[in-house]
Amino acid sequence: MTSASTTLKPPAAVDHREPLTAALSRMLRNGGLMAAVVLYTLYSALPFLWIGTMSVRTTSEISANHFAWPETFHWEKFRIAWVDSNFAQYFWNSSLIVVSAVAIVTLLGAAAAHCLARYNFRGNRLVYFILFSSIVFPPQIILISLFQVLVEYELYNSRLGLMIVYVSLQLPLTVYLLEGFFARIPQDLFDAAKMDGYSDFEIFWRIVLPVGMPAIATTIILNFIQLWNEFLFAVVLLSDQGSRTLPIGIRAYMGDYFQDIGMIATGMMIAVIPVVVLYAFFSEKLIQGMTAGAVK
Amino acid sequence: MAAVHLENIFKRYKGTAQPAVDDVSLSVQDGEFMVLLGPSGCGKSTTLRMIAGLEAISEGSLAIDTRKVNEVPAKDRDIAMVFQSYALYPHMTVADNLSFGLRRRRVDSQQIAARVKSAAGILGLNELLARKPAALSGGQRQRVALGRAIVREPKVFLFDEPLSNLDAALRVNTRNELVRLHRRLGATMIYVTHDQVEAMTMGQRICVMNKGKVAQVGKPLEVYRAPADAFVARFLGNPPMNILKACIVQGPSSAVAALGGSELPLARWARAALPPAGELLVGVRPEELQLHEVREGGGTLRGVVSAIEPLGAETLLMVSLEGDAGDVMARLHRDVKSSIGDRVGLTIPDEALYLFDAFTEKAIPAADVGAP
Amino acid sequence: MTDPSSGVAAAMRRTLASWLSAPEADSRRASLPTVMLFLAPALLVYAALTAYPVLRTFYNSFFNVADLASSEFVGWAHYAEVFKDRTFWAAVRNTAAWSVIGPILDVVVGLLLALCLYAGVPFSRFLRVAWFTPVLLSYVVVGIMWVWIYNYDWGVVNGMLRAMGLESWAQAWLGDPRFALGSLIVTHAWKWAGFNMVVCLAALHSLPSEVLEAAELDNCGWWHKLTDIIVPMLWPTLLNLYILAFIGKMKVFDLVWIMTEGGPVWSTETVSTYVYKRAFNWNTFDLGYPSAIAVVWFFVVVGFVVFFNLLFRRRERMEY
Repeated sequence: MTSASTTLKPPAAVDHREPLTAALSRMLRNGGLMAAVVLYTLYSALPFLWIGTMSVRTTSEISANHFAWPETFHWEKFRIAWVDSNFAQYFWNSSLIVVSAVAIVTLLGAAAAHCLARYNFRGNRLVYFILFSSIVFPPQIILISLFQVLVEYELYNSRLGLMIVYVSLQLPLTVYLLEGFFARIPQDLFDAAKMDGYSDFEIFWRIVLPVGMPAIATTIILNFIQLWNEFLFAVVLLSDQGSRTLPIGIRAYMGDYFQDIGMIATGMMIAVIPVVVLYAFFSEKLIQGMTAGAVK
Repeated sequence: MAAVHLENIFKRYKGTAQPAVDDVSLSVQDGEFMVLLGPSGCGKSTTLRMIAGLEAISEGSLAIDTRKVNEVPAKDRDIAMVFQSYALYPHMTVADNLSFGLRRRRVDSQQIAARVKSAAGILGLNELLARKPAALSGGQRQRVALGRAIVREPKVFLFDEPLSNLDAALRVNTRNELVRLHRRLGATMIYVTHDQVEAMTMGQRICVMNKGKVAQVGKPLEVYRAPADAFVARFLGNPPMNILKACIVQGPSSAVAALGGSELPLARWARAALPPAGELLVGVRPEELQLHEVREGGGTLRGVVSAIEPLGAETLLMVSLEGDAGDVMARLHRDVKSSIGDRVGLTIPDEALYLFDAFTEKAIPAADVGAP
Repeated sequence: MTDPSSGVAAAMRRTLASWLSAPEADSRRASLPTVMLFLAPALLVYAALTAYPVLRTFYNSFFNVADLASSEFVGWAHYAEVFKDRTFWAAVRNTAAWSVIGPILDVVVGLLLALCLYAGVPFSRFLRVAWFTPVLLSYVVVGIMWVWIYNYDWGVVNGMLRAMGLESWAQAWLGDPRFALGSLIVTHAWKWAGFNMVVCLAALHSLPSEVLEAAELDNCGWWHKLTDIIVPMLWPTLLNLYILAFIGKMKVFDLVWIMTEGGPVWSTETVSTYVYKRAFNWNTFDLGYPSAIAVVWFFVVVGFVVFFNLLFRRRERMEY
């Protein structure tokens, strides 16, 4: 053991130095914390659960008791909502518009972001600022004139028109997120590719896009969720019942059949499921994307 | 000021079979400067953090000033710690950094002011009191971290590789300052480092750790001159001790170690202490080797020069021994002239030879040396 | 200390100069056609669907745009009317109240939730999911959910109050002008708390652990660690979140439209809903007046952003 050790008294018999009151208050604090956590979790998740249960109960069952657990799971309500209440049409419209918009804005945004991140040219930062600053614009500043513009170009009340508007709505965010990521790709990769004879476009297509896939995936997910849930522009720029997107469809349903709570709940669940599925698979990427730039 | 007593301390992490700290027992005396030395991953930082209370002790008992403190929270152990990254509060001025701990402990403001002034004076921080850490250089931040520990007037100071983020010149200066500080305060200090130069120059005693275990404890020069095993022998000293494999050959009067055509006499060792046959590890420090022309005779190694490093103050010679016995590094006078490819002989003075068991790597002490 | 106004102007001049200066020649130059090809599509979309509409709204605000063919120049008349418009001011009051109070709720709750997770409550992965999901839901879904929750007869809130014997506290949460705005603020905060939590959690994890350990050794209990160390070190992130939330609430439309459409009696009218109503719902079909409102509000929001940025930039960056 040790060579030159001083003589020590043996350690004291009692080694719990904290008095009973301190231990008790610690337990109380922990218990209080757990209670707060449980309460908040209920607050956060119960509304969703409630809608879920209502979506499989008929309206008459719901009117009888709003909070009961479903006795029989009326899964056919989903089919009814899908087929009879036009939710299939709304779902299709949303999918068409949102998927195309996301695809286009990703391509356009990535090209612009790559250019801004990689090449030095006069006015680079100015262009970046112009593109990025429109994030703060309140939507009303373009809402009315977009309405006019679409009408003038006969794109009003068309899914194509809304899709183009969606592209412009998500462009600033896409450019912002991708520019930050692309700027961090080391210049050496580009210099090596240049020496290997690749042109600027080949570099973009073959190097930047694959290497930047994590960030691109994140922006795709973020854009998808924001556009899937988008309401204001859809309300203003689409009036035809057949072209409605899902959020509008649900709202209209709520307006027309506001007593049919069961069916509305089912409709809501249909709207929510794609987003939840996306989240289940991509939660990490999603969170990374949303926090990028917010943490300083 | 107090003594720190570790008894059979273990630290186990879930999921790993090997404990990070494996049955460490150590006594640090009151006012002693003890250095925990070892390569990265040897458990020295974990041991320090257990002493501090930042890691839980899996098994064993820790006593500070004769009081068992296993369960005592870190803030109540009356210790202060200087972190490798200094861990200064970035949003507070230097003065606030120094006084924060005291304010938290409800020391009265006059006392606080006095202690801050005294610490700032000792460390030359008086002009920096109003600055924030971001405006300080590395060396200045280090001194603030030190000051924060000093004002607490704790029983024990703990240092976690505090010099590793400084450049070489600053490191030398700060080393000396720390030694002077220790002399001035007379406090118990436990210092963790992987740099054997720091350990040799600063420690009153050093504790060499390897793979979670204590390899050896003792005064620096004693550990240098009488290493307990091959690991300690290699770890201290730069360039490290040459350790080669040899075979025991029993001779008429004494055994010899056969090494690539040479025979090293082992008269200093009691026959009974040596294994009867088989392999052995022999060690010799580079500075002990003497260079000469190739000649026959016991106690000399023969080989071919494979590399020369003239450093100005001395010359390092790497010699490839004949018979594939291995390479040795010799530390020779600066005037030595030699070329690559020269056949040379190296003599090992009798007292400079070390023996280690081939399997356990433990040192085999000579008969004229007391057991460590 | 230099004069603040000259500091601001000088800073802006410097920024503009740096943006427009010619770069040094290095391997990061590309030919103009290349650059244009990368940027052109995005810039085209931006110009056509963002820049042009903004300018057109400005233009509209000086006209009576009765229908899309005809418009009548009225000069500053709309703007004069805006400042006398009582509904507009009611909307501004509501929006301002929401934008100032709401973010405080958002950020504080977000920080508390993040601290719970950081402190290591059990089931943290499940909790992260459960607390974050509301962020993903569409405002339509959230709105309808909470309309039902606030329902006077059978909603969750009143149901719980009655179950606890507090019948007298049960209100028409969305029907009563006194409570409608507050109810909306709570709902909005419900949706966004998870986002703030996630950002705060990331920020907490980026704090250097050695500083927290040093605080531990300096006799900091959890309360003092929070107030003296964690919150000051997290301050830039928290401020950032506040600003983000503030801007978001200045623009809020969807939730209000779904739940109350600005009623009852304009107690939840926000600038966004008012603009929408004047443009598309009012009997007097005139796009010029709501354009004026939009322009005024645009300058208010942008003004705030610039103000916050300047305020923020003056604070020292914390390096660690």
